[in-house]
Amino acid sequence: MAASTSPRRFRTALKAVTATAAAALVLSACTGGSGTAAAGDTSGNQLLTIPREDLATFTRNFNPLSPQAAPMTLQAIYEPLVVHSMSDAKDTPWLATKWTQAKDARSITFTLRDGVKWSDGQPFTADDVVYTFQLQKKVLGGFDYLDKVTAVDAHTVKFSFNKPFSPAFYEIGGHWILPKHIWSKVKDPAKFTNPNPVATGPYTEVEKFQSQSYELRKNPDYWQPAKQRIAGIQMLAFSGNDSANLAFTSGEADWAQTFIPDIDKSFVAKDKKHNHYWFPATGAMINWQLNTTKAPFNDVAVRKALSMAVDRDQITKVAMNGYAQPADCTGLARTYDKWRDTSLSASCTWTKYNTDAAAKALDAAGYKESGGKRLLKNGKPFTLDISVGSASSDWISVANIIKQDLAKVGITATVKTPDWSAVSASYNTGTFDTGIVWSNNGATPYEYFRGVMSTKVLQPVGKQATENYHRFGDKKADKLIDAFAAATDEKAQHEQIDGLQKLYNQDAPVVPLFTGPEWGEYTDARFTGWPSAKDPYATLGNRNGSTILVLTSLKPVKG
Amino acid sequence: MRLILRNLGFYLLAFWASITLNFVLPRFMPGDPVSRMFAQAQGTMQPDQIAQLRKLFGLDNRPLWEQYVSYVKDVFTGNLGISITRFPTPVSDVIGSQIGWTLLLGGVALVIAAVLGNLLGIVAAWRRGGVLDSAFPPLLIFVGSFPYFWLAMGALYLFGVSLGWFPLRHAYDVGLTPGFNGGFLADVATHLVLPALTIVLVSIGGWMLGMRNTMIATAAEDYITMAEAKGLGPSRIMFRYAARNALLPSVTNFGMALGFVVGGALLTEVVFAYPGIGYQLLMAVQGLDYPLMQGIFLTITAAVLLANFLVDLVYVRLDPRVRVR
Repeated sequence: MAASTSPRRFRTALKAVTATAAAALVLSACTGGSGTAAAGDTSGNQLLTIPREDLATFTRNFNPLSPQAAPMTLQAIYEPLVVHSMSDAKDTPWLATKWTQAKDARSITFTLRDGVKWSDGQPFTADDVVYTFQLQKKVLGGFDYLDKVTAVDAHTVKFSFNKPFSPAFYEIGGHWILPKHIWSKVKDPAKFTNPNPVATGPYTEVEKFQSQSYELRKNPDYWQPAKQRIAGIQMLAFSGNDSANLAFTSGEADWAQTFIPDIDKSFVAKDKKHNHYWFPATGAMINWQLNTTKAPFNDVAVRKALSMAVDRDQITKVAMNGYAQPADCTGLARTYDKWRDTSLSASCTWTKYNTDAAAKALDAAGYKESGGKRLLKNGKPFTLDISVGSASSDWISVANIIKQDLAKVGITATVKTPDWSAVSASYNTGTFDTGIVWSNNGATPYEYFRGVMSTKVLQPVGKQATENYHRFGDKKADKLIDAFAAATDEKAQHEQIDGLQKLYNQDAPVVPLFTGPEWGEYTDARFTGWPSAKDPYATLGNRNGSTILVLTSLKPVKG
Repeated sequence: MRLILRNLGFYLLAFWASITLNFVLPRFMPGDPVSRMFAQAQGTMQPDQIAQLRKLFGLDNRPLWEQYVSYVKDVFTGNLGISITRFPTPVSDVIGSQIGWTLLLGGVALVIAAVLGNLLGIVAAWRRGGVLDSAFPPLLIFVGSFPYFWLAMGALYLFGVSLGWFPLRHAYDVGLTPGFNGGFLADVATHLVLPALTIVLVSIGGWMLGMRNTMIATAAEDYITMAEAKGLGPSRIMFRYAARNALLPSVTNFGMALGFVVGGALLTEVVFAYPGIGYQLLMAVQGLDYPLMQGIFLTITAAVLLANFLVDLVYVRLDPRVRVR
């Protein structure tokens, strides 16, 4: 709302008029203007205002077991043992101060922080950690490798596995911890809405909960009070990008994670001094997956030729607005730069755009061109479908660019855009032709390589797959992946990842396209201390694992 | 009375048919809620979570007919289940928390549009060829045929952003506590103006034109000439003789529209970030949230049938001919 006085006064007058008309009430006094306190407030007690463009209304559910828990449940309320940041790949000790992996990678021991209290004043102990994992396994399942969780003493927890599995560190370390003394009394934890959470996080006290806004205030017993510099968080609900962006660009919110079209003009130019954005490429690798159970996609030469026909620069510039990073033949997303085999990535061939080479490679593999149309080995025309969910307009543009690129080598592609549920159903059962698909995005490349090359997660066509939809497996990859999981020091792990990159370069299990960005915009008119390209301690996302680092780094602007 | 009883039987049959459709249609959609959620997360969820969520939601794997039997039982006992897109909130709570705003917005807009549109139609037809008759219908149809989204955005930018007369979003200011006091009601009313106004703008033309056309036909009837010959006042003839008879199609339309109000105004909710059923239904469809979809469809069905029933009753009162038959 504009800061000038005349419209504001008019609004107040209007409120009175419309109210008398609509409610037929005689009003003695009308107090308007108690709106969002965010705009221009630099008293030092201003609330950090965050819009959620994807939730038209909030439900008072702070249960971390629920995938639909209210925003900030896992960011400001409940905390993990270790915070991992995707932007700088660093692990920050949080509720645990130390951890040691056993040499055989069959167990890991966490030392818990001293003096941590739950927000009701009770001490945080090893029992809480043990209980949390028991509850997780009982209610949600998962953690199949986890054999036993034991409290060695009040401040030490040991996790034992039924196989060597070092990636467990990230899964266990990043898991939220619940207070046993509260949750063990809850009858049905899966259906508990936990309206007044008791937790260890910096902002645990829920206030003014309304269907379209709520506040989180300071935890009175937080273990690092020096980092609770902001007075609280205010969440706002919006039913789409447009209305959320309108509130954000007019200065009524501090921190958004929406896609803003033409951001330099529509946001930064409004207040060059304060308005900033940073879109680090920390997203998952986006692949063009070819169903390898179908000919000709079972032919590695075809996969590589198709990959060469694709102009990744145009895809990242045009379809992704210049915010994505093109992929190379290691398949690794930008997040895994420290794992990248730079000599391999410097000598990539099949991920470089080259229409002539693509055509030659297809000729050589036995897919000849006749009259401008390329033919399959059985003489039928070479055609394929690219499926993308109708909601993802940027990925539809990606598919259309691929379609144009393929026409140059004589292949006719059809872009199919039904609803995502139809698309993902065809991925799950393996009936699709090709598609633009996300990939696993873990703390290390382990999950990515498992998802694109492991035979262990491979499902036959018709059976439900939850990863490796393109159904490609290589026994050699299994060995490397298992050896990675069994290695505990980074040097040994590096060797396995190097091997996997070489194998990936050979097999081309999928056609890697680009690493997606994570949106993040802020104004530092009311708060300072944001992460940036210069200080990438976290991403600018407000709903991921490193968000807690931002919340504990921000300082309010005073006066 | 027999007429009403016969109608009641018909309504029961219609109700059964529609709850059956409500059950069948969502299940024809491909995929399941969890893989749908996974596709929407696009790489921010781990594959392990799929099995975990299936376990958490306790998705129904019983044969369809068994699900149907328990569904019908649940409908009559009022147990609508637990929403998946808002897990673990019960469907009745999700609908209950939104329906008030939907009824407020839709009801206010409908009543204003219908009353104003009908009045304009009556007067326009009575003064055929006058300013109101020649200028208003084309103008209103012109405004009404704008894409609603565009019109709403335009109104939001003009009256909300540029002039600052009205709030930009939500049903009331952030930080206010709902309650029956002057300040809060005034705030709700100001937030209601733009959303309701845009709906009225696009729908009023239809009401006016419909009323005008039936009114013209009625005005040519012999009993109107008769009334004029008796020397009755023109406003009495216009409202008591002509409009009363011309009103019947409008009443039917009003009843239909009243029923559909419950479905929410999706685009209005999106543009003005106004709470309501429309967006909830969109989310339910996108997330394959069967329980919530069924719940909302059931509410809409019940509302449409109820509204129709009320219209039937009003008809009996308005049109003596119905009573005779």
